[in-house]
Amino acid sequence: MKNRIVSRSLVVVGACLPFVGAQHAAPLQSAMPGPTLTPQDSALHALNRLAYGPRPGDVARVAAEGVMRWIDRQLSPDGIDDDRLIERERQFQILKYDRGDLAAMYTAAERERRERKLAAGQTADGSDSVGGQHAVPLPKQADPMIQKSNRLASEFADLAVARATLSERQLYEIMVDCWTNHFNVYAAKGADRFLTPDYIEHTIRPRAMGKFQDLLIATARSPAMLFYLDNWESVAPGSVPPTGLHVRARPIFGRRPGLFGPVRDPARQDSVRRRALERMPNGVNENYARELLELHTLGVDGGYTQHDVIDVARIFTGWSIERPQQGGDVEFHDWAHDRGEKLVLGVWFEGGHDMDEGIRLLKLLANHPATMHHVSRKLCQRFVNDDPPDGCVDDAVAAWERSSGDMREVLRAIFHGPDFWAAANVRAKVKTPLEFVVSAARAVAAEPDTSPRLAQVVARLGEPLFLHVAPDGYPEREAAWVNSGALLDRMNAAMALASGKLPGVTVVLDSLVPVGDADQLSGAVNEKILGGTMSENTKQVLRRELGGIGDPVQARALAVGLAIGGPEFQRQ
Amino acid sequence: MSISRRVFVKSGGLALVSLGLDPLFLERAAFASYRRLPFITAQSRPILVCLFQRGAVDGLNMIVPHGDPIYYQERPRIAVPEKDVLDLDGYFGLHPRLAALKPLWEAKTLAAIHAIGSPDATRSHFDAQDYMESGTPGVKATPDGWLNRYCQHDREHQDTPFRAVAFGPQLPRILAGTAPSLAIDDLQAFGLRAPQPAARDRLTRAFEELYAGSATGLLSTSSREAFDAVQMLKRLDPGQYRPANGADYPRGRLGKALLEIAQLIKADVGLQVAFADVTGWDTHVNQGATEGQLAGRLSEMGEALAAFTRDVGERMRDVVVLTMSEFGRTVRENGSSGTDHGHATAMLVLGGPVNGGRVLGKWPGLDPAQRFEGRDVAVTTDFRDLFAELLARHLGARDLSAIFPGFTPDPARFPGAISA
Repeated sequence: MKNRIVSRSLVVVGACLPFVGAQHAAPLQSAMPGPTLTPQDSALHALNRLAYGPRPGDVARVAAEGVMRWIDRQLSPDGIDDDRLIERERQFQILKYDRGDLAAMYTAAERERRERKLAAGQTADGSDSVGGQHAVPLPKQADPMIQKSNRLASEFADLAVARATLSERQLYEIMVDCWTNHFNVYAAKGADRFLTPDYIEHTIRPRAMGKFQDLLIATARSPAMLFYLDNWESVAPGSVPPTGLHVRARPIFGRRPGLFGPVRDPARQDSVRRRALERMPNGVNENYARELLELHTLGVDGGYTQHDVIDVARIFTGWSIERPQQGGDVEFHDWAHDRGEKLVLGVWFEGGHDMDEGIRLLKLLANHPATMHHVSRKLCQRFVNDDPPDGCVDDAVAAWERSSGDMREVLRAIFHGPDFWAAANVRAKVKTPLEFVVSAARAVAAEPDTSPRLAQVVARLGEPLFLHVAPDGYPEREAAWVNSGALLDRMNAAMALASGKLPGVTVVLDSLVPVGDADQLSGAVNEKILGGTMSENTKQVLRRELGGIGDPVQARALAVGLAIGGPEFQRQ
Repeated sequence: MSISRRVFVKSGGLALVSLGLDPLFLERAAFASYRRLPFITAQSRPILVCLFQRGAVDGLNMIVPHGDPIYYQERPRIAVPEKDVLDLDGYFGLHPRLAALKPLWEAKTLAAIHAIGSPDATRSHFDAQDYMESGTPGVKATPDGWLNRYCQHDREHQDTPFRAVAFGPQLPRILAGTAPSLAIDDLQAFGLRAPQPAARDRLTRAFEELYAGSATGLLSTSSREAFDAVQMLKRLDPGQYRPANGADYPRGRLGKALLEIAQLIKADVGLQVAFADVTGWDTHVNQGATEGQLAGRLSEMGEALAAFTRDVGERMRDVVVLTMSEFGRTVRENGSSGTDHGHATAMLVLGGPVNGGRVLGKWPGLDPAQRFEGRDVAVTTDFRDLFAELLARHLGARDLSAIFPGFTPDPARFPGAISA
């Protein structure tokens, strides 16, 4: 199948959510926000957790609709019109290319880089000349392919931020972010430079609110994951490609092309083939197997052993990529597969099987009690509390069992449970950098233009999207994000946004916070941006600081900047 | 630090941010520091700099046991050839791309500890890093890190916000806890931004008041530490820093972090514990030998440490740098010319107080019978014995059992990294 990256359509989402709307109309009224929350409070809480914060007017709209009804609609994203986002997505060039196109562009850019380096007197493999001094700075003016390749790479992070900011299907976008981190790949590792956009578009997004098992199998089969965790070159010890098969060593990114191409001189040909064979994988690589058990499914305390890791790795031997340099798809190498018997978590996998035993294993893992608990707990951590109460995790696990891992049902159980609405969990979480930036943009109805820079702000605050190098994804707990430097950075970002100094982002405050005296500004900011959560201290500080400023536009910018950069807005 | 104790300039309004301000207003509004700056006295306090090689460095290719034929048998494609190894003691040698560190070895200010690691058998990066930073292998519930606990229990340096600093966008687990510690990603950009100093000061004060009165939990403590540091940094002018003695830091995060650490050391702001991350060690594929992936990372680290040593100069007499990594890698190379997760690794200590020129620790050998679970270098030195030695003999910590709960540090087991 030729995977063309297109903007998300109703068709794609609908395809994996076949029964939306019909099945679960009944429990709508069954659970209620706790008695301590007003309709506005509960609307704000839901918008903070199931969405990237409210836009102007959202709290009143959700309260008027009824928060449980709004939540139910968010659980069926295919029923929500998202025309404005679809319109915006058309402006992103990255969606017009498939992974083969991106691979070709990347290769061309690399060739330009190499040629320029050669011209600058350096070796072609990117290493420095002898002496160990660092590289001579390259001229500023980059070649067209390099520019294009760089632009597309950054555009993909911009797209993620634009979707989070603009989409009406807010819960869906949050689930995409959850799974992007749960099944993390590092977009700066070799072929993942051009495989990652396809991975997000066609592996994660269509399954973000479907069955966990489908998502797990899709990630296992994705070239991006096969490359990232090295499984694509995990082979049974001693296996050799059948004769006649062109010996293809792993691509070495940045190396001279044609090193292993056809060579005329027989002696040299022999040596080239020998060197290529030396580079060929000749055994098992445990990387994917371990992270599959530890991070994707069972959890580190899920009861597996080193022996399980090895046999899982054996089961996945031969799961490879067809021409990774060209952005190829998953390819099963029969000759590289370990056909012996395996024992995983006490379950025998008899010998003689192919790719089917990997699928069988993934199904076993997807529905394992440890997986249900591990993944449910992560979801509760995201939606309820950094240290989620056992009750909501148990509810989520029960819904998982009932629905065979339908994520909509798991989420529904969390949102209908008492813990979600408990006063102790309201505003109990600190926003991640992505949540902070997107919620700030939404709060002031900021309009990211065609070259939005919000993704760069997210990166500066510590969360460069798709660039978390380790397989655990970005952390959820506040301790990972709250520190002295990060808070100062958030204050600076808030002031820049409020004073219209973020390039690529248009902020028009007139209709949101009209100019006025200190009391008026403080009141408007409290109501419109902080949802009425402004503390007495903040009111005093705002009044004092705004009081003597002559220029009303400056006073307003300061009021908005202090509100967004201040402590109340860091929580959700 | 309640608001009532602060002196406010109530009249005159606030000079605004970056929005083109009236200079007269600025002049009128400019005010002196509203808090007494801490006074740093001691010029020669001991300093510990920790580098965490995240991803598990292959200790066997960093400090190479070239005297053992098993090393070459097990690694036909990735062993560092005998001719390239920089011999240290006839059995071990430095990876050739760590050549920048060889002079420190000759000067006996660099030592290696081999076969060091955790008593816990986990091969999970995340658990193993967690244990190495909490200082409690096998116990996940420990709320704080061991460097932070050191700061909690030795209180004599609490006069400065710069006592414990992590360089990077996140505060690492090792410094998490109740003792103040800073996270600085970029020293030059640390603080509120505004074109004029007076506007910046007033904006800083406004945010400080917001957080002092309205923040709770971690938001409250972190912001207080931030504003204390901002106040002190005003004197430093970090943009003007030039490395001394022709030190040439390699580009990249590590070089920048070490440069900023050197800068804080020389600025005498009371830095005692510094921390930085170095990534890129998880070499499952195509690890390389004399050249290649691991060689590139080692080269950057060696050059950065050499530049740091040159830059800090004389003051290295007070400084110890420690490299650590969550575990080592398999003795045998894997199917893709890389190595998988193993057990023991090697760590480096360098600096004036170091008992250098030696590979420390008991070497268990590479014979399969001597390996951990038949595949990895066995741990013969508990990492806590090395960390405890540095805390006790270098920083002068007194209560080690409070820093490493459930562990009884015994000087008899210290590897001997610090000169007597």
